[in-house]
Amino acid sequence: MKVFVLDGITHVFIEVVFALIPLIIFFLIAQILFLRLPWEKAINIIKGIFLAFIGLTLFLQGVHVGFEPAGRLMGEVLGSMKHRWILIPIGFVLGFVATIAEPAIRILNYEVDKVSGGYIPKKVLLYTLCIGVGFSIALAMVRLLVGIPIIWLLLPGYVLALIMMQFTSPTFTSVAFDAGGVATGPMTVTFIMAIALGVGEVMADRDPIIDSFGMIALVALAPILSVLTLGLLYAWKERRND
Amino acid sequence: MPGINETVKEVSWAIMPVTVVIFLLQITLIRLPMEDFLQFLVGVVLVSAGLIFFLMGVHIGLIPIGEIIGSLLPRIGKVWLVVLISFALGFVVTLAEPDVRVLANYVDSVSGGTINRYLLIYTVALGTAIFVGLAILRIILNIPIKYLLVGGYGLIFILALFVPESFISISFDAGGVTTGPLAVPFFIAYGVGVTAVLGGRKTTGEGFGLVALASIGPVLAVLILGIIYG
Repeated sequence: MKVFVLDGITHVFIEVVFALIPLIIFFLIAQILFLRLPWEKAINIIKGIFLAFIGLTLFLQGVHVGFEPAGRLMGEVLGSMKHRWILIPIGFVLGFVATIAEPAIRILNYEVDKVSGGYIPKKVLLYTLCIGVGFSIALAMVRLLVGIPIIWLLLPGYVLALIMMQFTSPTFTSVAFDAGGVATGPMTVTFIMAIALGVGEVMADRDPIIDSFGMIALVALAPILSVLTLGLLYAWKERRND
Repeated sequence: MPGINETVKEVSWAIMPVTVVIFLLQITLIRLPMEDFLQFLVGVVLVSAGLIFFLMGVHIGLIPIGEIIGSLLPRIGKVWLVVLISFALGFVVTLAEPDVRVLANYVDSVSGGTINRYLLIYTVALGTAIFVGLAILRIILNIPIKYLLVGGYGLIFILALFVPESFISISFDAGGVTTGPLAVPFFIAYGVGVTAVLGGRKTTGEGFGLVALASIGPVLAVLILGIIYG
């Protein structure tokens, strides 16, 4: 049995060098021209960039030898099953559990707490988001099975968001749209995406470029709609109190 | 700043639940050959270790850059220079964003190299950079975020009518990946600094919106790339 761990790491290494060099150059120019941080601080920052360098290399290597090939194979197995509809509940569960422990949601919790004065309990926000993301990935699977153009889902989604925005406070709107990023966590973009690519590849009348991609966009929409819904509830409660 | 234990806990929590579900699916339904499933586990270990190092690096080295530069901007005083610096930061931070790399690699491999990964990465970075610049300009000029969101998404859906279908899904996904584990904390730190000093008004709420606007830019940029390609 052969296990691949370091295969192709030189490529990944070179990619990461090019990913981080612009940031280092920017920092050095800023340091010389106007930052003029004391050396201790500057060295700390260089240490941080070095850690990020190691981290990014391991991360991309893990996706390259692990998540991408394994995810695609799993997608191919699931996509060639007799009862393909099973992808829909599997998608929901994966989306739900990928979000339940997402660290970025803590930041969002804190922000929502601040703008709503604690009216929206943390647990409610968390489960709204988990269900939202679960629903998004399930929808992405439906799309793969049926072949719906992504625009047909995103356009109504954003129109709905823009309408809801009219009835929530501007602060809620900002928080909601900023929240779009929190749900697209590390597992969604790497592993769940690879499963969708595998499904798209194995189904004869699907093109993964068109039908598998788009999942991340659907996931990004979920927290926006979730937070706006909570914003509507909050606005409704405020009005009732007046 | 979260310590190493906290970071390890955070990353394990983000990765374990999906791993457990996949493990259950493997033994009940998927049944990949052991060799292939081992590659998944290799991925879990490498990706977890990578994220731990990366997040520590982000906290020690990268967020401080955002904070320091954000808080120094008022001394510069010139609006165009502040916007230019924000643009440059948006560009270099996006190039280092892990999720952007992963998406670009997937697109490159699925399209058989037709959509080149580097072209996609630089397009996404340029789009993000322009919108980070605009987002800062919005804070300085005190323009309500609503107008920019409606305008931005309006433009996106109009452009989408003229773009080959093979670019549409990718361009919307590009908007989702720019808000990854580096960009979000970085721009929140940067935006709070900028608002605190430039606006001269209460900071709550106004620093937000930076991340939202930053994810419109890449969608527009990739759509335009699609029009040029098509």
